[in-house]
Amino acid sequence: MRGNSVPRQRSLYSNQFRRLGPTRRRFLQGAAAALAGVTLANCQRNISDVQSGNGAGATDSAGAGSGTLHIYTWADYINDALAAEFTERTGINVVIDIYDSNETMLAKMQAGGGDAYSIIYPSDYMVQQMLELEMLTALDLSRLTGLENFLDQWQDPAYDPGNAHSLPFSWGTTGLLYNRDVVSGTPTDWDFLWDNQDSLARRMTLLDDVRETMGAVLKSLGYSYNSTDPDEIEEAYERLLELRPALASFMSFGYEDALLGGDLAIVMAFSVDAIAATLEDDRLEYIVPESGSSVWTDTMVIPTTAPNVDAAYAWMNYMLEPEIATKAVESLYFATPNAVSFDMLSDELKSNEDLFPSEEVLARCEGIAPVGDATDLYDEYWTRITSA
Amino acid sequence: MKRSIPTFPVSWQAIFSLAMYGFMYGPILVLAVYSFNDSERYTSVWRGFSLRWYETLFQDQRIFQALQDTLVVAFVAVGIASVVGTLMAIGLAKYRFPGKSLYRGVSYLPLIVPDIAIAVATLVFLASIAVPLSIWTIIAAHLVFCLAYVALVVSSRLNGLDPHLEEAALDLGANPAQALVKVLLPELMPAIVSGCLLAFVLSVDDLLISSFTAGSGANPLPIEIFSRIRTGVKPDMNALSVLLILTSGMIAALAEYLRYKGESR
Amino acid sequence: MDASPSKPGVSKFGGQFWNKLQTLAGPLALLGPSGLWLVLFLVLPTLLILDISLVPGLRPGTVPGAYGFGNYSQVFNPFDPAFDPVYIQVIWRSIYYAAGTTCACLVLGFPVAYWLALMAPRRWRNLLVVAFVLPLWTSSLLRAYAWTSILRPTGLLNSLILWINGMVPGLEIPTQDWLYTRTAVLIGLTYSFLPYMVLILYASLEKLDRSLLEASADLGANPRQTFLKVTVPQSLPGIAAGCLLVFITSMGDFVVPTLLGGASSMTISRLIYNQFLGITRNWGLGSSLSMVLILAVSVAIALLLKYGDRSSVTET
Repeated sequence: MRGNSVPRQRSLYSNQFRRLGPTRRRFLQGAAAALAGVTLANCQRNISDVQSGNGAGATDSAGAGSGTLHIYTWADYINDALAAEFTERTGINVVIDIYDSNETMLAKMQAGGGDAYSIIYPSDYMVQQMLELEMLTALDLSRLTGLENFLDQWQDPAYDPGNAHSLPFSWGTTGLLYNRDVVSGTPTDWDFLWDNQDSLARRMTLLDDVRETMGAVLKSLGYSYNSTDPDEIEEAYERLLELRPALASFMSFGYEDALLGGDLAIVMAFSVDAIAATLEDDRLEYIVPESGSSVWTDTMVIPTTAPNVDAAYAWMNYMLEPEIATKAVESLYFATPNAVSFDMLSDELKSNEDLFPSEEVLARCEGIAPVGDATDLYDEYWTRITSA
Repeated sequence: MKRSIPTFPVSWQAIFSLAMYGFMYGPILVLAVYSFNDSERYTSVWRGFSLRWYETLFQDQRIFQALQDTLVVAFVAVGIASVVGTLMAIGLAKYRFPGKSLYRGVSYLPLIVPDIAIAVATLVFLASIAVPLSIWTIIAAHLVFCLAYVALVVSSRLNGLDPHLEEAALDLGANPAQALVKVLLPELMPAIVSGCLLAFVLSVDDLLISSFTAGSGANPLPIEIFSRIRTGVKPDMNALSVLLILTSGMIAALAEYLRYKGESR
Repeated sequence: MDASPSKPGVSKFGGQFWNKLQTLAGPLALLGPSGLWLVLFLVLPTLLILDISLVPGLRPGTVPGAYGFGNYSQVFNPFDPAFDPVYIQVIWRSIYYAAGTTCACLVLGFPVAYWLALMAPRRWRNLLVVAFVLPLWTSSLLRAYAWTSILRPTGLLNSLILWINGMVPGLEIPTQDWLYTRTAVLIGLTYSFLPYMVLILYASLEKLDRSLLEASADLGANPRQTFLKVTVPQSLPGIAAGCLLVFITSMGDFVVPTLLGGASSMTISRLIYNQFLGITRNWGLGSSLSMVLILAVSVAIALLLKYGDRSSVTET
């Protein structure tokens, strides 16, 4: 199976470099020729490794012929219990690597560091972007059971019509998480950060995520999360620049200890992590800002380079089971797009407004969508913000 | 012996040096102390003695998998580098040829050029020839700097050797290979070992080059630690660092002992 | 110019390599394998990023444009419409960190090296040197991580300050909020590279001709004069070597600024990292920044080899 993936990987790069012009092509061919022996040996080793698992994973593969499933996901989407139950049922070992933003995941995949992954969890707009880059396998929906359980709005999502390449896995919002003991007053909107930047100086963080953070600032200015207007984006940049000296850091994960200990007062957070934190400690509070925020869907996809596609389908089917999805929600606190598993949740979770916000709150929120050519503009301003 | 420097029983330099030893060991001690802290989360508040983080650590499959990857990379890269690097050092000491200083210069580059530059170059190179990233690409990249360190240490030992030693062996009828194995190699052994230890420790500690050359499924310890520190998944890092520090401390002591023996020979 | 890393010479090297192949077997067996590996995984990759750095805005998955100096002019040329002063700012910040670290290491390291080389009890000397360098052998990530727990606002440093304030009535040392500031990065870098500095200075001071010190004293110089007129000039090559080594390594460091620097400490190595494994994915720009870094370091090394004490570099 990996044998198929290797030539595909190769064509990705050789195409890319073939356009570089004749001299460079010659240089690369020379280099490739010089390396042929080494490369060949490497490839063969790789391929043989895959047959008995993969690379390092080979050592812990069960050897039951089902191999190892490599999953690339967000920090908080799988716990050991879920993975263990899957292994128990199918004999397939699960190896999980984590990333902290869609963009870093894409970079790793494009750099060739992700060929062992059979399942990835990109967000909605990244699904679109990866589709454009032809990185996703079209799903064989006949191999999946339980698709009819999705709520209406995920039956035919705009980011991937008909769920042809991706399965919705979770959804949630982005907002502010704060420690009531440290923050004086009640934050209700993004403006709170700007209004209190002196008293909360270097006690706040924003997400290390270009679209979320730029989007939030755009929203606080009354624009769309997905603005492509250069003037609006620049205005957002200026506003973010004002706040920057008061920021401790840009971080998407790992702020909980600092927040509980009082080293941080207020952080921009994904609802998944924020809800887990609020349930753990009463002092923490999560809000979706009044001027609006993002509502995102994270999905499961199979990249074109994926080995062990059977295991990937097995994993998707496993996560589609309402009982499993319910268990996942109960331990990891993301909102599920699965109607059946929503019904199975405890009333307490169902009525958790952070987890399942009211229609009124959701109406203020927007999904992140690809911004086309404006991506460069976002990246450029983001580089300036993080480098200044 | 007499010295003109006034030797008070305790000089300010001694006190200052002591403070600097404190500076060097302070953070390590902090980690060690907190690794025994009995608290749910990572805080600076002392909640009593406990071994819970060590228990968590020993049940952590990922850490052991990562450790295994790290050791595989280090052993293979250092193993190859010990042979190839020694040969290189001997070759450079033995022969004069045009371009030799260039060769030597290039071989020392990995010691000088920042890791990030080497890491980036290797990534681009591997991408352009479409080698899929895996544990073998990490090994290949680590081999470059392991080679350089082994060659460096062996070279400095070679400089101190009697150049006629090998000639004498050849005069006595040994063939070049025998002369190398029977005469030169034993003399170089301490240097080879300490060069290997140095390369080993650097390989085990490397984050950047591994990050850029690691394929999925190959996940050396520094990458795992870095990702955990950044995502704050599990706070058993203190316990891990204590164990790592003890281990590398022992390796370091061994290395210094060997170097000491090598020098006093 | 022993270790000239100049790029144009490399192709010449390739030619010589093949010549040797035809004529010499012995040297080839000794130097061939390592040479092959260095060419494959060091020389070729470096040439490749030089090549890529000349393609403005090359990104994986997009059609690359023609050759040009766009990436470099974006960083350095203020008249380029795409010029962004932030890159120069980042480069300056890296230099600032490196220079600050070098000064701190020299000031802190020299007395320690002096004490170790000239004043410490002779029989303990080796052990003491090893003990000072020992922390280098441990994970640099975890050592930097340790500082986060010391420097955080509710961390150990401030607990200590509060404790001292409590013990000494009337004393009010202000608590510090250093984590995620430049101070934190400088502390972390100094901590990481101090052992290197001490090691090199020790090597140089240990070789100091003691009879010179005695002669100076016999001729009536006081200790201060002896130190300034004899010790320092004699150990100058070691000082130069130590400073350059610390400067270069701290300039390229990634771990400390990332873990301790927070929002305000983008350095050149972090910036390069972001161009490849981070958000921006601009391989062309990343390669050009990488070339700038290599060039800066090469110049520093060339200076060291020209004016410095070669042996003290190779010994470490």
